[in-house]
Amino acid sequence: MKYIDPHIHVTSRTTDDYEAMQQAGIVAIIEPAFWLGQPRTQAGSFQDYFSSLVGFERFRASQFGIRHYCTIGLNSKEANNEALAEQVMDLLPLYLGKEGVVAVGEIGYDDQTAIEDKYFRQQLELAKDVSLPVMIHTPHRDKKRGTTRSMDVCQEHSLEPGMVVIDHNNEETVKEVLDRGFWAAFSIYPHTKMGSERMVEIVRQYGPERIIVDSAADWGISDPLAVPKTAALMIEKGLPEEHAHLTCYQNALTAYGQSGQMQESDWLQNEAIDQRKLFSGNSILRGGQMPKVG
Amino acid sequence: MNQQADIAEVQDFLYSLITQQADENAMRWLKQQIGKLHGEAASRHLYLAFGTASRFFSKEPLQLSATSQTGADQLRKGFQPAHWQVLQTVRTYLLLHVPSENADQQLVVLNKLFETADMSEQVALYAALPLLPNPEHLTARASEGLRTNMTVVFDAIALHNPYPADYFKEEAWNQMVLKAVFMQRPLYRIYGAEARANEELARILIDFAHERWAAHRQVMPELWRFVAPFIGQSYWKDIQKVLSEGQLLEVEAALLACAQSSYPDAKETLNHHPDIKHRVDTGQLTWQDIGQRDANPML
Repeated sequence: MKYIDPHIHVTSRTTDDYEAMQQAGIVAIIEPAFWLGQPRTQAGSFQDYFSSLVGFERFRASQFGIRHYCTIGLNSKEANNEALAEQVMDLLPLYLGKEGVVAVGEIGYDDQTAIEDKYFRQQLELAKDVSLPVMIHTPHRDKKRGTTRSMDVCQEHSLEPGMVVIDHNNEETVKEVLDRGFWAAFSIYPHTKMGSERMVEIVRQYGPERIIVDSAADWGISDPLAVPKTAALMIEKGLPEEHAHLTCYQNALTAYGQSGQMQESDWLQNEAIDQRKLFSGNSILRGGQMPKVG
Repeated sequence: MNQQADIAEVQDFLYSLITQQADENAMRWLKQQIGKLHGEAASRHLYLAFGTASRFFSKEPLQLSATSQTGADQLRKGFQPAHWQVLQTVRTYLLLHVPSENADQQLVVLNKLFETADMSEQVALYAALPLLPNPEHLTARASEGLRTNMTVVFDAIALHNPYPADYFKEEAWNQMVLKAVFMQRPLYRIYGAEARANEELARILIDFAHERWAAHRQVMPELWRFVAPFIGQSYWKDIQKVLSEGQLLEVEAALLACAQSSYPDAKETLNHHPDIKHRVDTGQLTWQDIGQRDANPML
């Protein structure tokens, strides 16, 4: 079975992870622009980060046979530095039109401050201007209210719910998100947000329509194989294979494919992995390693 | 060495190539974008058009007639669009509309594009260097580009591109060739290799060969091309080592290097291999031939 992980911060992951992901059947990933574990202090740091998402990381993923897409946006945590946020907002139009940028994201609320609200709204308008879907990060604290508010604001700005993915859902938020017509994404995190077992039960209860599974793997304790593992658990627990296909592949493709920047042919026609392309001492292969071909 | 092309002529040339491989809708979009590249918001429109061009034009290779290939070389010596894609040609066409009377202002716009470019945009930008106005201001940018780990970006500068041979100082040129050897890029695709051969580069490459041999690894046969003009007493033992221990392609490369050397021992050694000498003399054994066979052993 083929999988898409539509939310993973691969810049923080190792080449071992990439190899394991490819072997587990992950063909495409989406890397949302987010914060880096500590706040940036310069607009230039954002610029280089965005450039790496459309540049080197995309190249690195391709060396492991994985098609890399990204979302571009000012995240809610760092939006609180208003002087910096203004400069980052100026950078966004430079990146949103680029190849493989499939959404504005991840944006939304963290502490649900007035400044977060301001830049969230500005970015929703930007998403409409460039006809891109939106990926919304729902807050960890006061989640239920933050999730409802995120959707309210989207509708206030006349965004089609079908163009908006609400991420990091749980049992408490999923019903409203689905009822209101938004995409409901779930980040499968060991220990915290959402485990595979709970995920299976949610799909059993609500069905596979508009539900998306992702790993949100980053620099913290997280599992880059969460999507294929959850799919396997669904089948093991007796859910139809079609449910796993929709929630762990097709729905993400349908939602983010609305950008016009992501289609199945991108990876079905992908050329075989050829690490000879970068056989050198300062690439992903170190001296003496044998390049993988085919 | 100034090789500045006539910008208006290059624009017309690129436009005619693009027209052959794009649909009406795409051409209409392109005309609209060019129309917006005036006034205060010009650079903002350019940044957007440069990125979103990917939504209108394909990455198919340019189809060039023999006449067009010759025409390209006449416009700008060494310009080889046969290795370009349609999309990158469009992006180059856009770049040629950046105002260039003031080189500093031109550089501000170009720097912004370079700094925010995705992978295929970087390829377009670097491959366009030989066509851009004020090329002598772009040498540092080109050297910076060579520090990349993305092979396609490195290739856009180093291969089929006359810019390095025309504008790089010796140090930058040598670093480029050494990195190309290190990355095992097809060296015969480097433009101007003979003209820019130099003694320091030969020494660096000999040192590199010694390192590889010490690690019991092979040296790419094309390397000897850059050593050939400087074969003398000091490098002769290295050539002899290749001749006695190398594989067939390496031996042929060493003998081709001998043919291009004026060192008496080299000349004499080549005379002991009349079959190879004949292939060299008749143009059958060339560096391109060596490079192509190295890249594809089935040839």
